[in-house]
Amino acid sequence: MSAGESRVLVVDDEPQIVRGLRVILTNAGYQVEEATTKREALDAVSVRPPDAIVLDLVLPDGDGIEVCTDIRRWSQVPIVVLSAVGDERQKVRALDAGADDYVTKPFGSEELLARMRAVLRRKSDEGDSAVRVGELEIDLADRAVRRDGEQLHLTPIEFDLLSQLAEHPGRLVTHRQLLQEVWGPGYEDETHYLRVHFAHVRAKIEPDPSNPRYVITEPGIGYRLRVD
Amino acid sequence: MNHMRSRFSIGRIAATTLETLAWVGLATALVAILDSIATPAGLGSLYLIAVLAVAIRRGQVAALAAAVLGVLILNFFFIQPLHQLTIADSDNVVALGVLLLAALVVGRLAGQSRQRAAEAELRAEQAAAREREAAMLADAATALLGGTDDLVSAISAGLDAAGRGELRLGASSAPQPKDGEISLRLPTEARSVWLYAAGSTSWTDADLNRIATPLARLLDVAAEREAAAARGAEAEAARQADAAKTVILHAVSHDLRSPLTAIRTAAAGLREEGTTAEDRIALIDAIEEESDRLTRLIANLLDLSRIEAGAVNPRTDWCDLLDVISIAISHIPELHEPHRIQIELDGELPLVRADASQLERAFANLIENALRFSPSDQPVRVSGGAGAGKVTVRVVDRGPGVPASERAAIFEPFHSGRGDGRDGVGLGLAISKGFVEANGGELRLQADSADGTAFAVSFPLVEQPATVA
Repeated sequence: MSAGESRVLVVDDEPQIVRGLRVILTNAGYQVEEATTKREALDAVSVRPPDAIVLDLVLPDGDGIEVCTDIRRWSQVPIVVLSAVGDERQKVRALDAGADDYVTKPFGSEELLARMRAVLRRKSDEGDSAVRVGELEIDLADRAVRRDGEQLHLTPIEFDLLSQLAEHPGRLVTHRQLLQEVWGPGYEDETHYLRVHFAHVRAKIEPDPSNPRYVITEPGIGYRLRVD
Repeated sequence: MNHMRSRFSIGRIAATTLETLAWVGLATALVAILDSIATPAGLGSLYLIAVLAVAIRRGQVAALAAAVLGVLILNFFFIQPLHQLTIADSDNVVALGVLLLAALVVGRLAGQSRQRAAEAELRAEQAAAREREAAMLADAATALLGGTDDLVSAISAGLDAAGRGELRLGASSAPQPKDGEISLRLPTEARSVWLYAAGSTSWTDADLNRIATPLARLLDVAAEREAAAARGAEAEAARQADAAKTVILHAVSHDLRSPLTAIRTAAAGLREEGTTAEDRIALIDAIEEESDRLTRLIANLLDLSRIEAGAVNPRTDWCDLLDVISIAISHIPELHEPHRIQIELDGELPLVRADASQLERAFANLIENALRFSPSDQPVRVSGGAGAGKVTVRVVDRGPGVPASERAAIFEPFHSGRGDGRDGVGLGLAISKGFVEANGGELRLQADSADGTAFAVSFPLVEQPATVA
């Protein structure tokens, strides 16, 4: 997929990290803009909304989570946050505040670019009802799942869960989002539903369920469909 | 006061009179014997001896009495005219006068010397009393130097021995005397301590006041010493903590420095114009690998500091251990080939209540540790099951095992496991244990068996949530 048209706003006050991100994103074909403070970031988004934002959670004049909250009041621009190692709560707070995904610092360029592709994909992939991941094919319109062309039999809930991931391949889908979408409001805390049903999904779609290739768990946060 | 003896008791007067009469009688007997061969005036000097003796033994008044009596007897019995108190010869008048005068002078001198002797005796008695007080204070000082915890009791015991049970100390804000005791507040600066003396004591108020001040000073010194010792203990604890911190910093800085050095060296290599494309890729790989190593070390240090600070705060939720373990394995660095891990878990392990990301860290460290010590041709086995009210996962390696002497220390942070220096600071097992326990589980080293070394992680088996279709 071409990234040529996409403009990415990098919000970070560490010059070395910004420099590295600029090189990585520019080489991948993105146009890069920079902001070093919360204020600059909000100004940049309101003046000329970018296609995606890479947002550090620690800024000199405030918290990156506040930036997420502010932007989400009027924009659905995809946000990938850079979170500190070992701080699970911060990730969860950022995702609850509207961030789409995260990478944990320090990160490799492949990981960041995979996240960027995933969050940007939802626009460009509209209209395509079949998602192919490795030997797996998930047909959202026909509600069918095939592996190596062979039909797999998923229950309606199992399919709903898998399709939530397949609608945005590679993108993180949080527990809360899954529970709301599949079971409806009021079920946000019933995370054991997810464990049980994803165990069944894996038993059916994964060649080795104890070493999953397709459905990736983000412990304590959510799930994503792996795309390579 | 008992050391001031009365000079005027009836017994003493009688004894003095008798002795004076005896001495005068003795002198008279000698004069009678020698009357034929000497002049009466010369014989008078014999009375002088008697006066001297009486003066020395009985004092000035008795001596004067002896002199007067002697002069009267001499005059009456031995000086012409006999049996009359008149004197014919003027020589004899002079002799008697001299005798009387001499008796007065000698008596006075003797009396003074007697008084001095009495004073000396009194001084000796006072000296003995002072010595007793000094011994008592010395005992108290010894108790103080002995660093006893309760100086008041220690001094009290010392007083008891030296003062023969007549004195004791008590620490209280108000005096608490026993029956008949005199109480005296010691002039201490800090806490209030009372000196009690038994009613039937030989101690005078002056004596008690005299020892009160040094005792108070000793107690003040003791209080100060105690405070200083407490400050010293604090300083020592701080010093030991500093020493431990230095050791840890040393270990950690070594582990931080080596990947940094590798990264720095690789960057320098990349800058060299002569570096081949192949070498550049190798150098970039090195930078990535060493950065990952640094990242893991920092993550471990952060985990450990949270565990040690009791700030783990698990976000408890339903956890599928199989799920957690497969994530943990996927995060293990590639230098350990994943195919060396053999999972023998029941597909349907009961869910446990825990923080999934913390358990992931726990299992990642546990499995990494097992891989490190396992021979390269032997898999690390992860097995599990439910029973006896627990859900248990065992991580078993076929490594060299843990020596018995190391077993207690193996979960201590900065204990570098089985003599392997690769991970340096050795935080893995401490982190595993910390996270497992913070989540209500238990991590145990099971005795080495033929299977190898087994670590068992268990969680309470809880009632499973209702599942939905």
